[in-house]
This record gives sequence, structure tokens and C-alpha cells, in this order.
Amino acid sequence: MLFENMSMAFSAIKVNKMRSFLTMLGIIIGIGSVISIVSIGDTMRSLFSDLYKDVGVTQAYMCVGYWIDDRRMSDYFTLDDMERVKEVFGDSISYIDSAASTGAEAVNKKTKVNFDFTGIDYNYIDVQPVDMVYGRYLNEGDILGRKKNVVMDVDSAMLLFGMENAVGQTFRTDLYGNVDEFTVVGVYKKEMNAFQALMMGGRSDRGSAFLPYTLLTWPNDYFYYLRLFASEDVDLKDFFDQLKAYVANLKGRNPEDMYMETAMEQMNSVDTVMGGLSAAVGGIAAISLLVGGIGIMNIMLVSVTERTREIGIRKSLGAKTRDILIQFLTESAILSACGGVIGILIGVGLVSGIGMVFGIGAVIRPSVVILAVSFSAAVGVFFGLYPASKAAKADPIDALRYE
Amino acid sequence: MAEELIRLKDLVKIYDTGAIKVLGLKRINLTIHRGEFVAIMGKSGSGKSTLMNILGCLDRPSMGHYYLDGIDVASLNPNQLSEIRNRKIGFVFQSFNLISRTSALKNVELPMTYAKVGKKARRERAMKLLDRVGLLSRAEHMPNELSGGQRQRVAIARALANEPPLILADEPTGNLDTAASEEIMGLFSELHDEGATVVVVTHEENIAEFTDRIIRFQDGLVISDVRKGEEGSVV
Repeated sequence: MLFENMSMAFSAIKVNKMRSFLTMLGIIIGIGSVISIVSIGDTMRSLFSDLYKDVGVTQAYMCVGYWIDDRRMSDYFTLDDMERVKEVFGDSISYIDSAASTGAEAVNKKTKVNFDFTGIDYNYIDVQPVDMVYGRYLNEGDILGRKKNVVMDVDSAMLLFGMENAVGQTFRTDLYGNVDEFTVVGVYKKEMNAFQALMMGGRSDRGSAFLPYTLLTWPNDYFYYLRLFASEDVDLKDFFDQLKAYVANLKGRNPEDMYMETAMEQMNSVDTVMGGLSAAVGGIAAISLLVGGIGIMNIMLVSVTERTREIGIRKSLGAKTRDILIQFLTESAILSACGGVIGILIGVGLVSGIGMVFGIGAVIRPSVVILAVSFSAAVGVFFGLYPASKAAKADPIDALRYE
Repeated sequence: MAEELIRLKDLVKIYDTGAIKVLGLKRINLTIHRGEFVAIMGKSGSGKSTLMNILGCLDRPSMGHYYLDGIDVASLNPNQLSEIRNRKIGFVFQSFNLISRTSALKNVELPMTYAKVGKKARRERAMKLLDRVGLLSRAEHMPNELSGGQRQRVAIARALANEPPLILADEPTGNLDTAASEEIMGLFSELHDEGATVVVVTHEENIAEFTDRIIRFQDGLVISDVRKGEEGSVV
């Protein structure tokens, strides 16, 4: 009987092809937009989480709170402080430096390029891997000896020297008022997708290079920030709490006076915002599903009226109330589910297409697709219920007489 | 005489149109036996259509009893009436009432679908019935591809689908020309000869002539009930 009803429904839908399509259109647009919006949201979330993985999910910045009025000299960190922190927390910290960076103009003969210099320790490559293509990374000797050596990426090397293999090349720059000559000891390459490049601000007219962090604290060896990466295996929240308490104590401050920014928290807040945003926009898109459902109800009412005589005939031949009800419900459910399937194809196609254009993998959650189809069929059943019950209740004599 | 198929006892039908109550049928008592070929005649407004609706279990009497094959129809609910129509009655209508855009075969299968007959058995029986009415070659045709006479023959095949004890025809020749009318009435005669009980509602004398018993209605009452070869008796 189910099969009978489905084949009856399909032939009824086929009779009015254009009308059926227009009726489905509401559902198609509704489901299509819900799927694409939720998927775009999911894709953005996964991109951000990739981005944070890239930046380092375990990364944290810490300093004495910027809101504190009574600044003391002891609020600044020293290299000794850093050593003590390293000693106390040992393996829990995989990397620590002073988060020092500065912008300056690098000069190679007549070529002048603005550079971002980031001070790093020699083991920065362990937490932020790059592929060395020429030369070497900064080593312990560079750091401890405060050598004026830098590593830069391929694009920066091209900007400043007009060649990729810039190992051995020198340039002059002014760091904190001292003009000095620096030597390139290595050139690296970092793979980024279009989105990451966009977010990381890969501006093509600006160079970037790593130099020993000990250079950026020179000459007075004080710095305001601590930047560190926790090990993968520690409980981040616990670890950061302990760290904050320890550093606060070290600086003679209360833990609540310390400012701490962690990638984890940022990631969670971005995730929350994105999730909320896509839920809200998805909710708005879901309204179009409601409108689509009303469209189905409208056309089913028309269809029931048009087919009053058919209903009368079926009843005279022995169709029960339930048979007629199921017949029309099946029809509206199929109408709606077909719209849902087409909507999914369009939504998935759209999102995958956009992903392909930007070179990023679109995230389409199967649960969203399943939910969308079930919802569209439910819309069909719900909005088909009233027209179908109207049909089922028709009096056979009146229905047979209907012209 | 054969056993009773239809018995109407003090049957009354009142139409309540709100402002006024119209007496459609006034205390009808009538018995039809199995195997009879009966014509119900009367002008429009005589009550014959009302009787037809009640005999067809499309409507229920306001008072009195209607026993069809021993079942008191007056006490049944709409779904039970559907069941009775499905099993006990084969309808043939003036306007054929085939389902449009649905093949002759599917139309004949329909009552068996509602009776939950299996697909294969349904198809076999429908083909056999279409063969019986001489339309085997038209099984896959849509109603609009058939002539009036052919459509009515499909309708008769459909009426026979569940082997109902009663064939109820409401002006079956009303939309047909003389040749097709005679052909359809010939088919009813054959079915009667094979043992079927056929009740034809008509206002045409020449159609009623095909039957063995003519019951005349006027103003909601039976005014005469004549069997072929008998003297006219006024009830």
C-alpha cells in the first residue's frame, strides 16, 4: 500500500510538473540556504581552528596587567625570570621567549624594504615548523652570542635581494636606534592556503625575518611580555593557572593583576561567536523553510479541491478516511522531500564550489544534511496534514457530485 | 425464491437543510433477492437518487433499517460503510467516474487495492475482467483515450473487481448513444444471467425494459412494483 501511495503521489506530481516545481522551490531555497549557511559557518570554524593550530593552540602571552597604575621596575621581565620559569615548569613548557618584535627598514644597497623582525629562540622551529630551503635556522650560539644573524622567508629574500638563495647576503637596518649590519644565515618556506595567507596578513610589499630574541632586549635586558608554548600533553587550563600564580608571585603581584592571553581562549571565543552567528543566520534561513511549507499547504489545498471528484470516486470504491489521508500526506511529503533533496544538492554544490575556488576543504556535516532532509519531509507532512484531512473528511455524495 | 440480498424496513430519509426539513423517502419497505435484475424508476425529485445513495451505502437512513446481505447498514460508521462499499457493492455511474490519467487496468485494480489484494492477484483479476468486457487490448489506455461505451465497460469491470453481491448502476446509459446503451444493458443482462444481482436506476422506459422487475417512485414513495409477466400491483 505504501508503494501504491508513492506511485500515485509521483504520478500526481508529474501531472502538474511546473506547479510541483514551483511549490518545491520554497523548500529548495530553504534547505539550500540552511545547508550552505551552516556549512560555510562550519568551514570558517574549521579554518580558524586550523589557523590556531598553525599559530599554536598551546600558545600564551603574559604580562602584568596594563590596567595597573603603580608601575614598578620589577613588573618587567628579565632573562633570569625566564630561566626561573623554565626551571620550575620544566617539561610543561616547550618554548619560551620575550615576544619581542619590531618593524624597521632593511637596506640592501639601493633596495629598501620595510621588515617585521621577530625575536625568537633557537628552538622556535620546534613549535612553529618551517621548511629550510637554503642555509640553516638560528642556533644556540646565535642566541647566546647575540649574533646579528637572521633567517627570512623566500618571498622576503626575493623582495630585498631579488633572489631566493640569500644565504650570506647582508643588509643594514636600524633596531632601537642602532644601525647595524645583519647577515642572512637561512631562507625558509612556509606553506599556507589562501585563507591563512589572508588572515596572517601576507602583504607582498613587506618582508619578515627572525632574529635572536636576545638582540631585541639589548641593551637593558628588560621586556614586558612573556610568550610561551605549553607542551601538547599538559592540561592547558591547570597549567596556565599555575603559571599565572607563579609569575604573579615572582613579580610581587596578585594573580588577578596579571594579564594573560591564551590561544585556547581566543579560539574558543571565535568558535562561540562563529557558532552563534551561523546558528542565527541558519535560523533566519529556516524561516524560508516555513514559507516553503506554507506554499506546499496552499498547493495541496488547491489540489484537494481540484480532485474532490476523484476523492468521491475513491471513497465509493471503498477507500477509508485513512487511505485518503495517507494518499495526500504521501504526496505532500514527497513533494517536500524532493525539494529537500534538490536543495541539499544545490547547497552542497555551492559550498563545495566556493571551497574549491578558495582552495579550502568545505566542511559539510552529515548530521546537518540528515536533519535538513528529515525537516523538509516533516514540513511536508505537517503542512500536508490540514489539506489531507480536509480531503479525507469529504462526504462521498457531495464529492461525487462535485464538478 | 432465492435468499434476500436487500431489505428496507420502514426506511425514512429526511434532509435537514436548516430552515426546512425535506422528507426524501417516506417509510419504504422493499425486498430484493439475490439474482434479481431490478430497475428503479422515477422522475427527478421522486426519491430514486436518495434511494440509490442509501442502497449504495453512500448515505445512511434517518430512520428505519437497511439490511444488505444481512448487515444492518444504518448502524455503521463511515469507515465501516467504506468497507461495505468495497466488498458488497459494485458501482456504475452515469458519468463513468473513472480516475483520470490512470490506465483502464489501474482503474479496475483500484477496489482490489483498497481490499488489500496482492499486486499479482490484482493484476490477473483485472486483466480477466477487462477481457470479460472485451477491452483487454485497451488495458493500458487512459480514460480520455476511450469512447463513452468503452469507459462504461471499464467501469463495469471495476464494479465486478471484488465480486460484490450487488451491482448498483445509476443512470448507466445517461451519457451514451442508443447503440452503446444497448450494448451496456446487454452486458448487465449477461451478468444477471450469470447470477449477479443488478439494480439499475433510470428514468428511461426502454432501459427499464431490459430488467425483470420495475419499481416506480414518486414523491418519496413506491407507487408500483411490477415483475415481468405479472399484473401491475400498486403498493
